[in-house]
Amino acid sequence: MGTVTAAGKSRPLPHPPQARSPVLGLPPTPSPPLADPHPSFLADKDAKVFVAGHRGLVGSAIVRRLLSLGFTSVVVRTHAELDLTRQADVEAFFAAERPRYVVLAAAKVGGIHANSTYPADFIAANLQIQTNVVDAALRCGSVRKLLFLGSSCIYPKFAPQPITEGSLLSGPLEPTNEWYAVAKIAGIKMCQAYRIQHGLDAVSAMPTNLYGPHDNFHPENSHVLPALIRRFHEAKATNAPEVVVWGSGSPLREFLHVDDLADGVIFLMDQYSGLEHVNVGSGSEVTIKELAELVKEVVGFQGNLVWDSSKPDGTPRKLMDSSKIQGMGWKPKIALKEGLVETYKWYVENVISNKK
Amino acid sequence: MPTHSALQLEVPKAANNGTPSFLADKSAKVFLAGHKGMLGSAIHRRLAALGFTNIVGRTRAELDLTCEPAVQKFFDAEQPRYVILAAGKVGGLHASSAAPADFMTENLRITLNVLTAARRCGTVRKLLFLATSAVYPVDAPQPIPESTLLTGPPAPGNEWYAIPKIVGIKMCQAYRAELGMDAIVATPNNLYGPRDPFPSESSHVIPALIRRFHDAKASGAPEVVVWGSGLQLREFTHADDAADAVVLLMETYSGPEHVNVGSGREVTVRELAETVREVVGYEGRVVWDTSRPDGVMRRLLDSSKMAALGWEPKVELRDGLKKLYEWYLHGRAPDFEA
Repeated sequence: MGTVTAAGKSRPLPHPPQARSPVLGLPPTPSPPLADPHPSFLADKDAKVFVAGHRGLVGSAIVRRLLSLGFTSVVVRTHAELDLTRQADVEAFFAAERPRYVVLAAAKVGGIHANSTYPADFIAANLQIQTNVVDAALRCGSVRKLLFLGSSCIYPKFAPQPITEGSLLSGPLEPTNEWYAVAKIAGIKMCQAYRIQHGLDAVSAMPTNLYGPHDNFHPENSHVLPALIRRFHEAKATNAPEVVVWGSGSPLREFLHVDDLADGVIFLMDQYSGLEHVNVGSGSEVTIKELAELVKEVVGFQGNLVWDSSKPDGTPRKLMDSSKIQGMGWKPKIALKEGLVETYKWYVENVISNKK
Repeated sequence: MPTHSALQLEVPKAANNGTPSFLADKSAKVFLAGHKGMLGSAIHRRLAALGFTNIVGRTRAELDLTCEPAVQKFFDAEQPRYVILAAGKVGGLHASSAAPADFMTENLRITLNVLTAARRCGTVRKLLFLATSAVYPVDAPQPIPESTLLTGPPAPGNEWYAIPKIVGIKMCQAYRAELGMDAIVATPNNLYGPRDPFPSESSHVIPALIRRFHDAKASGAPEVVVWGSGLQLREFTHADDAADAVVLLMETYSGPEHVNVGSGREVTVRELAETVREVVGYEGRVVWDTSRPDGVMRRLLDSSKMAALGWEPKVELRDGLKKLYEWYLHGRAPDFEA
């Protein structure tokens, strides 16, 4: 994996707004930047970092990355140890642990089927988790920075592509995951509200479609990439003559390896303190056809890949505009093929082997 | 001209499965959250006048709705059959811009706690959530139909109040879809009436104008300065009319979509200020500070859905303002009954 440059230097505070000199009408010379009294995230590796949701796809990648960077005090709790939907429990945890940093990667997640069968559970649990964690983070007084993870599904169904941060709330949501999306939008707004009213350094990151180790490979509700891995693997293992994929294969999708996302999250923890949420995407698109052919090659399935074009395609295109984070100097490092090889290896070692 | 008591003459309808409708169930326990607020107190008056005998209310000191265990304990103990959720942190654009975190967290928690507790106790037959016209996009087509929800962002600065209300609408839909809970939503526009707080800055426009004209009359000030051009159009709805709509919705409506509740009568803020001036009896000048922002230029709800249910708002603005000024002068003592 790539390295992350450590910012060890102190960051200057932004200049105060330019005032007009009353006599000449010229802006006064700006005063020299004040030294930042606090170290940046990457210069603060012994500080306590609470990663909520450390067992999920995103949370586990973030913990891996933090540990490999040399963070010595990463605090995690399973759902059984700490139910984030319970306000009193979360407050007690924060009062006892007093973390300096919080990464909120915990959520109730699921596919289309789960969202549409249990919308009340989805919207309520996610709102409770977010509200409890952000509010407790403020109240305990020790949290210097909090990062909230959302999802690309917060954006309008028909947002112009590539999707910029500014398109939030500009149009109707995709109905199949609108409950989850509304909860995540409320989370973004909570972070903004706490920054404005209390000065809590709370930021929000919106990842694109993710893939990688610890993903959900369930046959019924996994996303397209892990579903393809599973199906090609099973076809290879059973010597099936072909794999049939629904649709024409022409829709375009963007994928980001979860280790790149973890890298991006840590970059934002270190460098970003803005009000607006930030897209974290690769900027690279592939057609579903290109993806399927790549997965077939990586898995080593020798049979035929057949397209059932009588079945519907999904959304024609879904690409995030990540120029904001890339303009700050961050870019992803894991190419799709390389990421697929690594993910397939993990799948075979962890999912298939565990079934024996 | 129909009066507010017209509803008492309607024959209450039984639901298909034989359970009584709301108006045929007047001894059932109704939890009225926010019963001391402007709308809550109007709903309380209406229910009492209709003969409801078991209305339960709790002040904030008695029950903090933002506290999850307290709300659960309350619901488990009281086991209400009906819930009307008119409680929330309110205050207008100025207040919510100054305390965005408080507005978001309190209002989200109230909705979450009440809905989850209602689900858990298992006795709630019907729940009504009060939303607000602030949920609609700032540039929504006028009059604003229910279908424009989430087609654009709410007015900037107002989102801290609007987002929790949007969440409440979606939560009620989700609870209906997953659990079959009969959760409905009313979306009123610019309510006014007794028991709206009257602080001069961070309150809604009608109470603010009443207070300022009254103070100017009392001090003999030669003029009152009002911010903006005064050309913005506003639709005001009296809380008693909104309370009527709430009762009608509880009786007849079980749909997933929220329902607009607006009087349908627009005035410019200039016309409003002139009417308030006359009602208060202030004889000085009104001056418009056009350097100040106007806010949204128009906000008129399309309330045809509510009208189709048989609702007719009855309070004319001038009469409502007269009664409100009367209440402001004499009624803010704790023992006054409107």
